[in-house]
Amino acid sequence: MAEYANLVRRALGQLRGHAGVKGFLLQLFRVNDVKVGSLIGVDKYGNKYYEDKKHYFFGRHRWVIYTTEMNGKNTLWEVDGSMVPAEWHRWLHCMTEDPPTTHPPEPKKFLAEVHQFNVSGSPQQYVPYPTTRKKIHEWVPPKAGAQ
Amino acid sequence: MASTAATRTAAAASRVVKPILSRDLDEAKRRVRELYRAWYREVPNTVAMFQLDISIRQGRNKVREMFDKNKHVTDPRVIDMLVIKGKMELQETIHVWKQKTHIMRYFHESEEPRSADFLSKFYKGHDP
Amino acid sequence: MLRLPVVSRGLFPAVVTKGGAAATNNARTAATAAAATDLIEVFVDGKPVAVEPGTTVLQACEKAGMQIPRFCYHERLSVAGNCRMCLVEIEKVPKPVAACAMPVMKGWNILTNSDKTRKAREGVMEFLLANHPLDCPICDQGGECDLQDQSMQFGSDRSRFTEGKRAVEDKNIGPLIKTIMTRCIQCTRCVRFASEIAGVEDLGTTGRGNDLQIGTYVEKMFMSELSGNVIDICPVGALTSKPYAFTARPWETRKTETIDVLDAVGSNIVVSTRGGEVMRILPRINEDINEEWISDKTRFAYDGLKRQRLTQPMVKSESGQLVPTTWEDALTRVAGALQGAEGNDVAAVVGGLVDAEALISLKDLLNRLNSENLCTEEGFPMAGAGSDLRSSYLLNTGIAGIEEADLLLLVGTNPRYEAPLVNARIRKSWLHNELQVALVGKEVDLSYTYDHLGESPKVLQDIASGNHPFCQVLAKAKHPVVVVGSSCLQREDGAAIMAAVSTIAQNARVSSGVEENWKVLNVLHRVASQVAALDLGFKPGVETLRKNPPKVLFLLGADAGCITRQDLPKDSVIIYQGHHGDAGAPVADIILPGAAYTEKCSTYVNTEGRSQQTRVAVTPPGMAREDWKIIRAISELAGVPLPYDTLDEVRHRMAEVSPNLVRYDDVEEANYFKQANELSKAVNQAVLTELLVPPHLTIKDFFMTDPISRASQTMAKCVKAVKEGAQAVDEPAIC
Repeated sequence: MAEYANLVRRALGQLRGHAGVKGFLLQLFRVNDVKVGSLIGVDKYGNKYYEDKKHYFFGRHRWVIYTTEMNGKNTLWEVDGSMVPAEWHRWLHCMTEDPPTTHPPEPKKFLAEVHQFNVSGSPQQYVPYPTTRKKIHEWVPPKAGAQ
Repeated sequence: MASTAATRTAAAASRVVKPILSRDLDEAKRRVRELYRAWYREVPNTVAMFQLDISIRQGRNKVREMFDKNKHVTDPRVIDMLVIKGKMELQETIHVWKQKTHIMRYFHESEEPRSADFLSKFYKGHDP
Repeated sequence: MLRLPVVSRGLFPAVVTKGGAAATNNARTAATAAAATDLIEVFVDGKPVAVEPGTTVLQACEKAGMQIPRFCYHERLSVAGNCRMCLVEIEKVPKPVAACAMPVMKGWNILTNSDKTRKAREGVMEFLLANHPLDCPICDQGGECDLQDQSMQFGSDRSRFTEGKRAVEDKNIGPLIKTIMTRCIQCTRCVRFASEIAGVEDLGTTGRGNDLQIGTYVEKMFMSELSGNVIDICPVGALTSKPYAFTARPWETRKTETIDVLDAVGSNIVVSTRGGEVMRILPRINEDINEEWISDKTRFAYDGLKRQRLTQPMVKSESGQLVPTTWEDALTRVAGALQGAEGNDVAAVVGGLVDAEALISLKDLLNRLNSENLCTEEGFPMAGAGSDLRSSYLLNTGIAGIEEADLLLLVGTNPRYEAPLVNARIRKSWLHNELQVALVGKEVDLSYTYDHLGESPKVLQDIASGNHPFCQVLAKAKHPVVVVGSSCLQREDGAAIMAAVSTIAQNARVSSGVEENWKVLNVLHRVASQVAALDLGFKPGVETLRKNPPKVLFLLGADAGCITRQDLPKDSVIIYQGHHGDAGAPVADIILPGAAYTEKCSTYVNTEGRSQQTRVAVTPPGMAREDWKIIRAISELAGVPLPYDTLDEVRHRMAEVSPNLVRYDDVEEANYFKQANELSKAVNQAVLTELLVPPHLTIKDFFMTDPISRASQTMAKCVKAVKEGAQAVDEPAIC
């Protein structure tokens, strides 16, 4: 009996944590997960970082709720792991215990001012091209009306 | 006249040659039936074992087709030889010495008939 | 300064022409005359062999099947005897002798593999390697180097020289030949080649002993049309090919024996390919045509095969722009154009690199469309005998036949740049057989001396009518030869010149009393397709097309720009089929990409009338196809299918029209000179006063003459180097 009560309490807590039924469903459809925890910080793009060490085992105890608009791109549905900026990445992946809110990263000139997405699979992606010379150089017809 | 003489000498020759397995045509036919039955029973196993994308009926039709291809053969020695070859194929299939592609080769799926006329050969490439 | 006085005529006439150890080298001409009874017997390792007196030890060993190692000795050059590699022991002779320079004596026993011989070779090799860098891994000669091979076979495994090696500064002798002079072993083969075969006294030696250097004395180009051959004769990697440098190794290339079509000589070549790319071109020995030399254009124009290529069919869009398309589309358009204008509204012009298979297909196609308008770009006078008698457009004497001649009259031609190997043959004959040469036409440097009779075609008529002092010389000749250049027959008064030359030849034949099978009259062509085209019945020259402009013009490799769009009616269709985007492709409405000579198995007939086959070395690039196949495909779509599907069937058809075209490597004899001369008398044409000037006067006109060599960067560099000096050509700064 007690566990059912616990289940209901957790469900209610998740409903409350996501600001009602609408927010709960939105979160469920966005990332298939409705964890609630303590908000550790928000980066400048609006991604929110949460932690709950009590209810979740290591590896699932830190998560991010992505912002809905980042770098001019609508990210309401198209969320991507590369939206996490470098300073939060290390906290999120448990490289460190200290979130950048309390321990701001040392400024380095190689750190990006504005975080960039991974462009793989997009038209901006890098495409390798051959650097060997062509075996046959074909004739290019002269432009019409050039002469 | 000459043809009957030829068949007579051929018959005489076939009488004296050493049989491979069967002494006469009936025995050879019996071996063919046995082989066909073995294949017929093996087809469901083959389809399952090799995970073929064909139905059992299709497989059995193909077996039938392969046997029908040599329907015209009447020489028991030739039939015996074909039976031996068929048994070898069967053994390779049962023991999975073959792979999926070897089985599917019976179905000629990836084979494209070569064009014979000049123009389509010309369009096709340099020297097909 | 020391220039080897090997064949300088003025200095040692006796050495060159009669007797002496040096001249016996040219055993082909001198020694074969000796009667069989004069043979002397010598022994090679105890094995008896009968040789002519005056044979060298090396040649005797060769006859007995024993190869003696050598560096400086080359059978087509004079003997220098300075490398000492061919030292052999002879029984009862105190010291080892240099086999290349020592004539054999009766009863000598030559020991080619005795201890003493081996020790001598080892010693010589040790001295040669004392100064030769051990850079075989980065040397372009590696794998085909005489020194490398012979040091493995005959050398010692160590050297006693601990001193540093001598280093020599490299020379810049032009954009074709790369020199790494430190590798030079001073065999002087290149010096002898330059002065004897090429006839340019550019290379020589300076210094003595350890300081001996090969060079051009002052910094200048080695300017010869045969210069590339020094790469082949150099036994080490001192002279290598600049365009080929660091591109391939001999063991990784595939060799295809084929023939060259960039001039009308038809030199035999080997095309080395790797990965579907032509890496280089080397000569192949054919004593009747090119011996073992090839011209620089043949050897180095191969990079033109990779540039400016037509790789896909193109059609002109509404905006007038040529756009790539498919074969189906292009051929349908061609067929539509041909069907729309049957009869004599269809015409074809063929260029200089077209093979006989394409010619016969094109002729059959147009004949089926009821058109007879098939022309070649090169002209030839049709008055008189014209191209009806085969003898009037061939080099009847043959290239090898020049060696038997004693008087040669050149008319309006510069064989040095029109057919460099014919010129090399003339020079050889001039050098060794006392051939006397005379020239009517512009005075040019032919690399040998000649009597210049004048530049005006009037001189020819004087000689023909017997009013010229040269007639006495001509009358005395035993084996006279007259060679007329094809360029001067393309003038307005070509028929008159041909008539005069024919008369001269006929008079010379009568006065010399030479046997019936000796041919006097010769025509020297400049392009490879001309003889085959005339054999197959093409009309020479495009004048008929100018008079009756066709509605549909089929250009088959026609890149000389003889006929342009201005000569045709407004709505005419031009179809270009060929392998390079040169002059013909930009004016065309439809472009059909064909195959170049390294990419098809096809027949070419050289200026002698010798039909030869090219072989497939690489596949045609992109969507290009063999030329006859394209025409065959057009014929099917145009509704007049040609009755042949395979190469054999095409050749069978060729044999029906002209059987000599499929008798490969044979010269089909042609005759009826007398009848041709009589026909030419009917020509009623006055010669013009214009002087006879061949189109190629200096070496800078030689390099770029056809679509392939015009596309070649190497040839462009050569022209630049000739005009502005070798320093003007910038080379990549590697090694």
